[in-house]
Amino acid sequence: MMSSNVLVEVNDLHKVYPSGTHALKGVSLNVYEGEFLVVIGLSGSGKTTLLKCINRLEEPTAGTVKFLGKDITHIKGKELREVRTQIGMVFQQFNLIKRMNVLNNVLAGKLGYMKTLPSILGNFPPQCIEEAMKNLDIVGIREYAYERADKLSGGQQQRVAIARSLMQSPKLLLADEPVASLDPATSNSIMQYFEKVNKELGVTVVCNLHFLSLVRRYASRVIALKSGEIVFEGLPHEIDEAWFKKIYGEEAEEVEIR
Amino acid sequence: MLEPELEIHPKEKILRKKKNQEKIDLVKAILLDIFFVFYSILVLQRAIYFKVILDLRELPFAWSEIVLILFISAIIGTIWGYSRTSLGTKIMGLSRETKFAKLSAEIFAWTLFNLTFIAGWLVTKISLIDLFSSEGIEGANRIFHALFTPEFGIFDDALFAIIETIYLALIATLLSIPPTLVLSFLTARNLMKDNVIAFSIYYILRIVLNFVRSIEPLIWAIIFSVWVGIGPYAGMIALLVHTIAANAKLYSEAIESIEEGPVDAIEATGANKLQVIWYAVVPQIVLPFLSFTIYRWDINVRMATVIGLVGGGGIGTMLMQYQGLAQWHEVGLIVIMIAIVVWIMDYISAKIREAIY
Repeated sequence: MMSSNVLVEVNDLHKVYPSGTHALKGVSLNVYEGEFLVVIGLSGSGKTTLLKCINRLEEPTAGTVKFLGKDITHIKGKELREVRTQIGMVFQQFNLIKRMNVLNNVLAGKLGYMKTLPSILGNFPPQCIEEAMKNLDIVGIREYAYERADKLSGGQQQRVAIARSLMQSPKLLLADEPVASLDPATSNSIMQYFEKVNKELGVTVVCNLHFLSLVRRYASRVIALKSGEIVFEGLPHEIDEAWFKKIYGEEAEEVEIR
Repeated sequence: MLEPELEIHPKEKILRKKKNQEKIDLVKAILLDIFFVFYSILVLQRAIYFKVILDLRELPFAWSEIVLILFISAIIGTIWGYSRTSLGTKIMGLSRETKFAKLSAEIFAWTLFNLTFIAGWLVTKISLIDLFSSEGIEGANRIFHALFTPEFGIFDDALFAIIETIYLALIATLLSIPPTLVLSFLTARNLMKDNVIAFSIYYILRIVLNFVRSIEPLIWAIIFSVWVGIGPYAGMIALLVHTIAANAKLYSEAIESIEEGPVDAIEATGANKLQVIWYAVVPQIVLPFLSFTIYRWDINVRMATVIGLVGGGGIGTMLMQYQGLAQWHEVGLIVIMIAIVVWIMDYISAKIREAIY
C-alpha cells in the first residue's frame, strides 16, 4: 500500500531564531510518498518550525532539507518559488484573504504558476476557474464560491484553505494544527477531508496535531517532538500511556475527542 | 561537529550581548544625569537667582560660566550615576533597590518638574494685571463687538476665497495619493527587511520623510511662495509636500501592523513578492488608507486657511489682508465662515469614515 519512495529527507536540522530560541535541535526524518504523517508534541516543541523549514517559510540554521532528492535548504528566488508550488500548506488560523470572495481565495493557490501581471489583474484562465470550482466541490462548499471569505464559519474557512492548497496540485500537503481552533465535530470533518485528499488524490500529508484520538484515527505514522528533538517515531497504536507521559510530561492526562 | 557549537553559541552570545547592553545603558544613564544636573543648575542660576532674587532685567551671559557649570554637573552626574542612586539610572532601570536610591531619584525628579514649571511661568511673562487692565478690556470689547457684527458686504468674495481653499486642499490631498502609496511600501519595515539594499532604501527614505514632516506646512508655504510666487499654487504644493510625508508614515504603519498569516499563506503557494503584496497585503490596508486620506483632506482644509496667512492663497490670505487693515467687521465674517466650513468638513469626513468601516 505504502510506497517507500522518500519525498522529503530532513537531516540533522537545527533552527535558532534571532531571539535566541533554539527551536529545532538536530531533527532527522523521512517523509515517504503517500503517507499520512502526524507530528505531535506540546506547544513550543518545534512542530510549526519543522513544517515551515520544509516549505522554507523559515530558513534552517544548520542541517539539510531535501525535497524529491533536491537540496532545498538554502535555495532562493525563483528556484524556491518553484519548489513551494509543489508543497501546499494549511494553517491553524486558516489565513484566508478576508475581504476577497471564496473563489478568488482558492484561485490564489495558482499564483505560483501565473505570470505577475495577469495574476494582479485577476485575469485567471477559464480552466483555472473550472479547476477552482472542482476543488471547492471536493471540500463540499461550491455554493459559497461568491461569498466573502470572512462571512464563512471556521470550518468552512478551513475547507477553503484546503481547496486553495489543492490548486497547487501539491505533491505534499503541510497542515499546521489545522483543527486547533475548531470545535470537536468540525475537527473530525476537516480531518476527513485531509484523509480524502491523502487517499483519493494521493497527496502526501504531514500534519501537526494535538489530540491523540485524532492521531490514532487518521495517522499512518507518528513522530513526537519534545523541546526540538524527536522522542518517538512509530505507528499510532504504539503510543501507550508511558509514551504519552514521556511526550507530554508526567502531569498530562489524555482527553478524548470524537 | 556542528551540534556542540550550536548548543553553546546562542546562549553565550545572549549573555555577552546583555553585559554589553548594560554598559551602554549605564553610559546613557550617566549622560542623562549630567544633563539633568546641568539643566537644574542653569535654571536655578538664571531663573531663580538672577530673575527672582536679584530681579535683573537683562540677564548676564558668559560662555565661561556655562562651561564651568557643565564641568561641575559632569562631576556630580558621573558620581551620582555611577553610584546607581540617580534619576538617570532609575529611568534606564539600573538603579539599586535601596531606599536611599529610590528617595534620591524621586526627590530629584520632583525638583526638576517644579524648576521647569517656575522657569516656564517666568519665560511666558504671565501677568494677571495685563489680562484685567481697563485698557486691555476695552480693546477686547472692541474686537469682540466687531467680530460678532460681521460685514456681509464682502460675502461673495469670501465665499469664492473659501471655495478656493477647499479645492486647494482637495487637489493637494488627491495628488498626494500616488507618491504616498509608493513611499509607504518602501518605508514599511516588514516588507523591506529582507536584504541590505532594500533595508538601506527603507532607512534613507525614513530619514528624509521624518525631516520633511518635521517642517510645518506653514514654513513650506513660505518657501514655495518665494519659489513659485504667492498664491494658491504655493499653498497647494506646501500642503502636498507635508501630506505625502505625514501620510506615508501613517500608511507604512498600517502596512507594518497587518496580519502575517495571509502573507505566509500566499508565500507558501510559491507566489512572488509583487503577488504577495497584491494578494496578502493590499486587501488588508485599503480601508485604513482610504480613512487616513479622507481625514487628511479635512486637516488640509484647516491648514489651508493657516498657510493662506503667509501667502498660500484662499481664505487665509484674505483674512490676513483685512486683519492688516484692522477692518474687524470683515475679519468677523471670514472667521465665522471658516468655522462653519471646518465644522461641516469635520462632520462629513467623520461620516464617510464611519460608513467605510
